[in-house]
Amino acid sequence: MTTDAVTTEEQSVDAAAGTMAPSRAAALWSAIDRFLNHAGDWLNPILVKETRQALKSSQFTITFVLVLAASWVVTVGVVAAIGPRIFYSAEGGTLLAWYYAVLAFPLLVVVPLSAFRSLTAEREDNTYDLLSITTLKPWQIISGKLGSSMAQMAVYFSVMTPCLAFTYLLRGVDVPTIAILLLYTFFWSLGLSMVGILLATLTTQRFAQVFILVGFVSWLLFMFYCGVMWGYGTAYYGRSMLGGVGSGFWIVLGVIATSYATFFALAFFAAAGMITFTSENRSTPLRACMVVQQAAFVGWMAAVWISGNFRLEFVLVMIIFAGLYWYVMGTLLTAERPGLSQRVRRRLPQSFFGRMFLSWFNPGPNSGYMFVIANTTLIVVLGMFAIAFGEITSGGGRGGNPTVEEVVDTMVIGWGYIVGYLGIGLLIISALRRIAKVTMLAAVLIHLLLLLAGFGIPYAVKSMSIELREADYSFLQITDPIFSIRHIFDGGVRGDANVLLILIPGVATCVLLLNMPQIIRELRVVREAAPTRVLQDEAELHPPPEAGPQNPWDEPA
Amino acid sequence: MIRTTSPQIELSHLHRVFDQAHAVNDVSFEVYAGEVFGYIGPNGAGKTTSMRILATLDEPTAGDAYIDGFSVVDDPDRVRRRLGFMPDYFGTYQNVNVYEYLDFFARAYGLAGQERLRAIGEVMEFTLLDSLAHKPIDGLSKGMKQRLCLGRTMIHNPSVLILDEPAAGLDPRARIELREMIERLAEAGKAILISSHILTELAEIADRVAIIEQGRLLAVGSVAEISAGVQSRSTARVRVLRDADRLRQWLAARDDIFDLNITGELAVFTHAGGRESEARLLRELIEAGFSVIEFGAQHKSLEDVFLHVTEGRVQ
Repeated sequence: MTTDAVTTEEQSVDAAAGTMAPSRAAALWSAIDRFLNHAGDWLNPILVKETRQALKSSQFTITFVLVLAASWVVTVGVVAAIGPRIFYSAEGGTLLAWYYAVLAFPLLVVVPLSAFRSLTAEREDNTYDLLSITTLKPWQIISGKLGSSMAQMAVYFSVMTPCLAFTYLLRGVDVPTIAILLLYTFFWSLGLSMVGILLATLTTQRFAQVFILVGFVSWLLFMFYCGVMWGYGTAYYGRSMLGGVGSGFWIVLGVIATSYATFFALAFFAAAGMITFTSENRSTPLRACMVVQQAAFVGWMAAVWISGNFRLEFVLVMIIFAGLYWYVMGTLLTAERPGLSQRVRRRLPQSFFGRMFLSWFNPGPNSGYMFVIANTTLIVVLGMFAIAFGEITSGGGRGGNPTVEEVVDTMVIGWGYIVGYLGIGLLIISALRRIAKVTMLAAVLIHLLLLLAGFGIPYAVKSMSIELREADYSFLQITDPIFSIRHIFDGGVRGDANVLLILIPGVATCVLLLNMPQIIRELRVVREAAPTRVLQDEAELHPPPEAGPQNPWDEPA
Repeated sequence: MIRTTSPQIELSHLHRVFDQAHAVNDVSFEVYAGEVFGYIGPNGAGKTTSMRILATLDEPTAGDAYIDGFSVVDDPDRVRRRLGFMPDYFGTYQNVNVYEYLDFFARAYGLAGQERLRAIGEVMEFTLLDSLAHKPIDGLSKGMKQRLCLGRTMIHNPSVLILDEPAAGLDPRARIELREMIERLAEAGKAILISSHILTELAEIADRVAIIEQGRLLAVGSVAEISAGVQSRSTARVRVLRDADRLRQWLAARDDIFDLNITGELAVFTHAGGRESEARLLRELIEAGFSVIEFGAQHKSLEDVFLHVTEGRVQ
């Protein structure tokens, strides 16, 4: 036997045998040892490996010692500065602010940066290939890296725990404030680590990685600054974060938690998708995540709308955010690689309803386009419903700003812009793909250039034309979504609004029809049977359960 | 070699295009269980590209490759369970020792509990790394690293091994050890695809070889088969008792003899034809009354065959 675990086990057995009768302590230790060995099998391999590495690495040791030294210096320095007031004045908040600054650096800078470097270093050290040909799933690799970040966080928290207890003893801060401060920072650090991992998957080219690294470090330093300021404010002025909180606090907390969870999940699946083999279905989990995110967003907006007495502003805010969101997601979804791999085809929905409702979740640029259209249409329908409901409850007498017409026009025209721009972009990408390879980045850039052209060309023409320069709005700017929608809110231009209402959705519908042949082609792909060899392997891996008695009178086979 | 009906490795009209370059161009061959298959070619010929496709690290532009009947494109997860890939570089983790390195990969291949401990133990014993279990891998010699890399490759007991230049940079002793390990693995029924620049060693262990150049497969078969296929002329030696002058005239009169050179009783010449033709020549010499005391034809080594097939364009 050559392994650690076995040796430990043998040693335990030897130790136990050394005494005439195995003592209770030895038996207990042996049981704990066996349990830990067994528990270790359930841990993510990457977490185990990186924890082993971290415990031996100089970077971790140096950071750990620096945090310890800094907290010691802060303790001595602040206590000295407070002086005799420490005996009668509540100075816990002052010390907490300083301790938080010490803690924030490793948590908001070192840990996320380590997460980023951990994945990029795999590529630099040529271990990424070795890792990716194991049977670890991409989500296991990502969660292993996140687990490693959490392990590091736990160590830094443990360093600061006695210090934080000391601040409580000094009075001036309560336990919930300290707990919320730490909890927020934990999730903040975890979120930044997730972003770091996602950024690390974006490119394999060295120069691009360096570029991303510089940007990421700058952003982390800014986050550290924000963290310190926020910690200072909370420690000094928060005093008791739960003191006197109303329902607004919990609603805001709920909104933040929902947004965090859904964006975290989106980043997680995106990172896993980036390192997944190309024949795998990388799009469906992301699309499911987007739907959940939209549902959560609509739910919270509905809650705010109801608590805000059905005000139209909330509907307007909802459609603007949803429109921006779906345009951004649409540029990514329509940039997906065309064609479905055999692996994906084996799992396509087969039933009528399955094909009707789930085909939009299939990977591919055209289904992605339809997915975005379906979701924006749903948002428009929900918006219409909200407006109608508001009108009924108010007896149709609601006036003020914005008006019902303005909000409805914005929804319809906004829908037209999203469908139109994404559709034209998709047509260009599809045409280019016939003659050249179009990467996802190139496809997104095409969408961006198209949008910029829509903004920039009319603006340039208007600026150069003596007649149009002074005009507030002309139909030349119909390709400019911001000017056009703003024009609706200018008031007294119903005629213009009607023209926009006909033209923009009309053009968008034409673009959609132009895309329809390739959408139909993508949707007509049907499920393919798995090869016999795959079925054999599946049967070996997951054998069907043995046939047992079907009812109390059945005899066992 | 155990020749089973279905191949363990199968490349089917494999193509891989990078921008304008056709790195792998319509390559097809099969490797069976228990077979050591040599994959040789000059630098940039497409060996590593095809091996990376087999290892599910790259995707073919056209065609497909199969490991134990599973497509590397459509079923990479099933392929990975059956495949051990040793690339031509050694991926090291910092602050990790030999045991921890193997333990990580055993866990990554889903081995747990006693099964993992047993696998690590067996691999360390096979690769003679028992005594180095707690040595940091950064401090290992090249030979030890290669053994560890081989150990990592076989930690999950795969049925197929793909070894890219495993002997590169090794000293003679380490090469011999590696060769013995590969032979033992083949005896255990594993299909082994191995690329190497050390052709003499490859010739000793490979049951069959494939020669690739500029992405195209030039020849596939045993060294003898390929030699026979490419060998139109061989260098022959004949030593006779006394009749040297008559031998000169006799040989000079033949159409299949070139570059004749006689020194004393020894004639060295180039003979056109294969082995059958050599046997016929010997028979005719004896029938012509020559007292032949030495007859031999110099057959081409794998290096000669490689140079001949690739027409000397080795980079």
